[in-house]
Amino acid sequence: MTAASGETPKSATIVRMSLMFRVQHVLLMVTLLVLALTGFALMYHENWIGRGLIRLEGGILYRGFLHRAAASLLMAQLLFHAFYMLFTREGKKELGEFLLRRRDFSDFLQAIRYNLGTAAEYPLIGKYGYKEKFQYWGATIGILLISVTGLILWAETFSMRFLPKLVLDVTLIIHGYQGLLAFVILLFWHLYNEHLNASVFPMNDAWLTGRVKAEWLRQEHPLEYEKLKQEGIL
Amino acid sequence: MKRLLSLLLPVALTAALFALPGVAGAKPPTEGECMECHGDKTIEKSLPGGGTLSLFVDEKGYRASVHGKGACTTCHTDAKAPHGKLEKVSCGKCHPDSEKSYAQSTHGKGHAKGEREAAWCSDCHGKHDIRKSGDAASRTFRLNIVGVCLKCHKDRAIEEQYKLPGQQVMEAYENSVHGTALKKSGLLGTAVCSDCHGNHAILPGDQPRSATHRQNIPTMCGKCHPGILEQYEKSVHGKGMRGGIAESPVCTDCHGEHTITKISDPSSPVFSKNIPKTCSGCHEKEGISSRYALPKKRFSTYMDSFHGIALEYGMTKAANCASCHGFHDILPSADPESRVNKANLPKTCGRCHPNAGPNFAKGPMHVEVTPQKAMGVFTVRVFYTVFISMLVMLFVLHVGLEHLGRRRRRREAEGGKG
Repeated sequence: MTAASGETPKSATIVRMSLMFRVQHVLLMVTLLVLALTGFALMYHENWIGRGLIRLEGGILYRGFLHRAAASLLMAQLLFHAFYMLFTREGKKELGEFLLRRRDFSDFLQAIRYNLGTAAEYPLIGKYGYKEKFQYWGATIGILLISVTGLILWAETFSMRFLPKLVLDVTLIIHGYQGLLAFVILLFWHLYNEHLNASVFPMNDAWLTGRVKAEWLRQEHPLEYEKLKQEGIL
Repeated sequence: MKRLLSLLLPVALTAALFALPGVAGAKPPTEGECMECHGDKTIEKSLPGGGTLSLFVDEKGYRASVHGKGACTTCHTDAKAPHGKLEKVSCGKCHPDSEKSYAQSTHGKGHAKGEREAAWCSDCHGKHDIRKSGDAASRTFRLNIVGVCLKCHKDRAIEEQYKLPGQQVMEAYENSVHGTALKKSGLLGTAVCSDCHGNHAILPGDQPRSATHRQNIPTMCGKCHPGILEQYEKSVHGKGMRGGIAESPVCTDCHGEHTITKISDPSSPVFSKNIPKTCSGCHEKEGISSRYALPKKRFSTYMDSFHGIALEYGMTKAANCASCHGFHDILPSADPESRVNKANLPKTCGRCHPNAGPNFAKGPMHVEVTPQKAMGVFTVRVFYTVFISMLVMLFVLHVGLEHLGRRRRRREAEGGKG
C-alpha cells in the first residue's frame, strides 16, 4: 500500500475523464434525477411520495412537461453519445476499452474467489473492469429500453392506432419498473463503487476534475497503470 | 289615552247594539254591517295569555281577493251582528278535495291532534286576502312559496319540537341550483318546495305514499326533466328501481336533494372530480357487488389508471366513470346498446382519442393485475420485482465480499512490507 514507484511521485495525477465525458456525465446525472423524481411521482401517485413530488413539481401538468423535457434531453444525449463513441478518435478508443471480453467474466469470478480466500491473486484490472462495464452497459441498455417504451407512451395518439391497450399496459409497466431498476442500480452499485468504497471514499472526484491519483490507478487498475507507464505518459 | 279609547270603543259599540234589539235580528248581517265594526283599524281583542289580536278586516284587500265577490257569512256562517267568538271557518265546505288530501297529510294529522304549529289552510293561503296561486301577489305564487314554508321550517323551536330536518337543509335549498334560479334569476320554471313535496298531501319521505319516497322520486323529478327520466327508465338503474330493487339509485342518490347544484360546481357529487367517489359509494360495497354479480375493484383500478391519476390531481378533463359508462343511460356492458359494450368501445374511446380503433379496444379497460385478468402486466411485474430484489441482494453480497477482499489485500500488503 505504501510502496510507491521510484519514478512516479505519490501525488502524481492522470486524466481519466476528458471534459467531453465529464459534461456528458453531469447532463446524464441531472436528466436521470429529474426523470426519477417526475417518474416516481406518477408511479407512487397514491401515497405521500407521489403527492409530495407532484406538489414539488407544480402539479400533474408540469410534472409531465418536466418529465418529457428531461426525456428529450436524455435521448438527444444518447444519440450524441452513440455518435461520439462510434465516429470520433477519443470515442472509438473508449468504446474499445468498454467492449465486453471473456476476460471480464473470469476477472469477476477470480475477484470473488480472492475475496473468499480461495484464489491467490486479485485479478489485474485494465482501464475499465467488470464493475465499470456492468454499469456502462446496464445503463445503455436500460436507457434504450426506457426510451423506446417512453416514446410509445408519449405518442399515445399514434400508438393507439397500432397497439391494443393490452400492449400499452405492459409498456407502461416496463417503463416504470425499468426506471425503478435504474434507480436501484444507481443507488446500490454506483453509490457504493464511486462513493462508499474505501478506495474512493467519500467520492471519486474524477467526474469533476477529470483526474485520478496515479497511485489509485496502480492499485485499482494496474494494467492501465502499466500501459500508461510504457507509453511514457506516467 | 288613545289606547284606552281603542279598548273601550268596541265594548261601547257592542253594548249599544245589544241595547237596540231588532236592528240586526235573525237575518245574517250584510258586509256593510260587518264593516261598521271590522272596518275600524283599531278594533282588537285581548288574548288570555296577554297581548291583543286585531279584528280589523281590510275591505279593499278582501274585495280584491278570490273570494271578494262573496259575503262574510259564506265562511263565517254563524256570524250575527253583534257577535262573540265565532266558530273556526271550514274551507272544506267548498274545497272538499283539498280538505280530504290535507287531512291525510302530515300537517293535517298534526292539526287534528291539536298541534298548534301544524300548518292549516290560512297559514299558507292567508285569510281575507286569499288570491289565486297564479297571481303574483298570492302567498302561494311560485316565487313566494319558499318564503311561506320557511316561515315555520326555518324556526328552530318548531324544528326541535317536531324533530324536523335542521336549518342547514333549508339553507342548502337556497344555495342549490333550484334555489338560486328562484332567488337570483326569478325563474318560474324552477323547483320550489311544493313541486317535490306536494302541497296539501305533504308526507315525510319515508312513507310510501309521499311524493319524496324513493320509489316516487324519478317520476317526481321527471315532471320537469322528462327527457332525462326517459333515459333513466331505460338504464340499468332505472329498470332496477322500477323492478322493485330499493338499492338501485334514484336521482337524489347521485345528485343530492336540497343541495343539488350544477354539475360544474366543485361541491356537486356529480362534478367530474367527485364522480368516482359518488359511483363507488355503491359499487365498492361488498354486498352490492356480490348481490348483483358486478365486477369488483372498479374504483382502485380506475384510480391507478392515467385517467384516475389525472383526475385525482385536478385535470377535470380526464375521463371519469360517466365519460365511458354514460350517466342517466348507463347499461351493463353485455347490452349491445351499452357504451362499454365491446362493439361500441372504439366509438366510446374515440370520443376523446380519435385514433383508438377496434385494435386498441382489445383487452380489459380496468386493469386488475392478476394472472387471469392481465397476464402480461402480471408477468412483467413479477419478473421485475424478482429481478430487482435479486439484484439488490447480490449487490449487498458483493459489497460484503469486497470488504473481505479489501481486508485481505491490506493484510498482504502489510505482510509483504514487514
